[in-house]
Amino acid sequence: MFEKILIANRSEIAIRVIHTCREMGIKSVAVYSDVDKKALHVLSADEAVYIGPSEPSLSYLNIEAIIKAAKQTRAQAIHPGYGFLSENYKFAQRCKDEGLVFIGPSAEAIRNLGDKITSRKIMLDSGVPVMPGLNGMTGCTSDMAVSVDTSDLTDAVEEIGYPVLVKATAGGGGKGIRIVNSSDEIKEAVASASREALKAFGNGNVYIEKFFTRARHIEFQILADKYGNTIHLFERECSIQRRHQKIIEETPALILTSELRQEMGAAAVRAAKASHYENAGTVEFLLDDKNNFYFLEINTRLQVEHPITEMTTGVDLVRHQIEIAAGQSLRLRQEDIHPRGHAIECRIYAEDPEKDFLPSPGKIIFMKEPSGPGIRNDCGIYQGFEVPVDYDPILSKLVVHAQTRDQAISKMVKALEDYVVLGVKTPIEFMVNVLNSRPFRSGEVFTDFIKAHFSGWKSNREFNSSERELADSAREPGDSEPEFIDSAREFSNSESESIDSERELSNFEPLSIYSASELIDVAMIAFIADAVGGAKNNSNSFSDTKKTVSPWGTLGNWQL
Amino acid sequence: MEYNLIVNQEKKSADATISDHHLKVKTGDNIYDASFVIISEHHILLNVDGRNVNAFIFSDQGGKTVIIKGRSYFIQDSDLLEQNLSEKKGFMKQSIIVSSPMPAVVISVLIKIGDRVEKGQPLIIVSAMKMETTLFAPFEGIVSGINTKEGDKVMPADILVDIEKEEEPQ
Repeated sequence: MFEKILIANRSEIAIRVIHTCREMGIKSVAVYSDVDKKALHVLSADEAVYIGPSEPSLSYLNIEAIIKAAKQTRAQAIHPGYGFLSENYKFAQRCKDEGLVFIGPSAEAIRNLGDKITSRKIMLDSGVPVMPGLNGMTGCTSDMAVSVDTSDLTDAVEEIGYPVLVKATAGGGGKGIRIVNSSDEIKEAVASASREALKAFGNGNVYIEKFFTRARHIEFQILADKYGNTIHLFERECSIQRRHQKIIEETPALILTSELRQEMGAAAVRAAKASHYENAGTVEFLLDDKNNFYFLEINTRLQVEHPITEMTTGVDLVRHQIEIAAGQSLRLRQEDIHPRGHAIECRIYAEDPEKDFLPSPGKIIFMKEPSGPGIRNDCGIYQGFEVPVDYDPILSKLVVHAQTRDQAISKMVKALEDYVVLGVKTPIEFMVNVLNSRPFRSGEVFTDFIKAHFSGWKSNREFNSSERELADSAREPGDSEPEFIDSAREFSNSESESIDSERELSNFEPLSIYSASELIDVAMIAFIADAVGGAKNNSNSFSDTKKTVSPWGTLGNWQL
Repeated sequence: MEYNLIVNQEKKSADATISDHHLKVKTGDNIYDASFVIISEHHILLNVDGRNVNAFIFSDQGGKTVIIKGRSYFIQDSDLLEQNLSEKKGFMKQSIIVSSPMPAVVISVLIKIGDRVEKGQPLIIVSAMKMETTLFAPFEGIVSGINTKEGDKVMPADILVDIEKEEEPQ
């Protein structure tokens, strides 16, 4: 086994890998750029090496600097995390050439699968159903210079039929993707997707495939060793997306019958075997409204949303990644994998859901993480940390595990309500509304979910009144409009039986007695208390305040 | 003491009688009996009519954001807002200036000084956290100044392009 592993990544995923390294008795090396000197992954590792300026291409994408850091610290293996160099076959090859173990699939597999055109061909040859799309690629190759032959392009796209998706061949994470509805938009879409892809992945090639407006995104986790043992660890439902990036994932997927699940799982294993895949990977499928599934791609890395699979299967995917990379054979067989219960992940980004999810970098003034049974927060920030503008805005991934889907949703709502991040905008309140919404509760999740039900969302101020009305109208049968269940309202109305999980929900919500408008009153009381208390703090010394203020003295209603 | 507050852009008033760490607050329809404990700079434990509420507070752009159970409320004291009227005027201008909506890096300047631009014409592309955003011309006119270049880090208040408005045709 390795004695030391370098993690060529940052933030929460670097920390996730460090956790397992420590459990396995493996030393960890973090790398960092200028803005990340005080980042949490640097604080968490056994060693940390500076690799360059904040600009990703000069640090986290800088192969030379990372190889040098590994040599310098005598790390034997490199874990690439997700994003950055994780799906860069040149990097995997370079590691091999330098005698370092790349914790992931072979350079050749990454190359074949990273190229959406080649992977399409591999799947076609092995009988895995693929999406209707172009068999060649296009795009611009150098920064701003756009050289697209549009005459050929428009004809070919016409054949697939609009709308189509323009997607970076080296893509991932929702970057370098555009939906195109008509032929006059295609050139500009290709150019801008290509530019974004070049910046994010160092490769500006894009390809084009059919875009289904109403589809589900379902993926299967794969583990494969060097000796041809390949298993799947069941599915993840990742349909809730904004800007083509997943924000809420869950497992199992409600829509799959056990038959379809088996069929897709078998197809996923076939896809992995056909591409001589080893290590952890994810086979992504699109499921249309007639339950036809199409191969989208294999992500040749650990996924952002891998924790939900870990929660239900009890398998530490990073541990298996490391063991496989070290040459061990897979100890798990397909029949050993029995998922238990239901898990949900919410991605907490520094972004403003009221402003089309624009990034909201800034300093974390205060934070309080949720805790409790079945709650896991893979977190990359701390109080006082300045969230840099240079990288993906992910702050943490909040994950819950419970016996049933309803219980998992309730647990997630509770966890979100307990999660406080001050200083940057987060989608926490938005997520609570999504989880409480009727279409989510009933499992009607499609890739257009946010757009269909939550476009123009505003913080609960404007939702309160309409929420209540909608919750009322929800009591009438045959209403097909999406309804938003105001949790405060529902909890307060314990006589109503309109919601299946209501009884369960009302059990944990002490604030339930407040209606939305009363909550506004309470917020105003907090504002006044802060104004008054703040003034007091200024006049008194801190120790004075400490002496006179005790929750036991001031509050008469503690019931412990 | 009478508080005139603006909660999420809606006017509200509250009459508060304050003694030590005890508040009696009358709002539109309700009277609340509350006590509070300052837990930390950003955390207040309220006890409202016998029920505990944890509130998290921070000052933010001319007001305070109060977070209770994951819900956030932006609250301003309208009596204090008078002073900020000049700032408000600055805010009005925001809609007609070209600035980035978030801290970002300029990746492309699509115009040059002297260019005539139409309303809605793309002027500058900025990128933050790997996401590209295009800034458009707020009105028709002639570009009289460009205050940035490719690679610059820019903040939301920075005016990136000056456009001289053309006389409206009669």
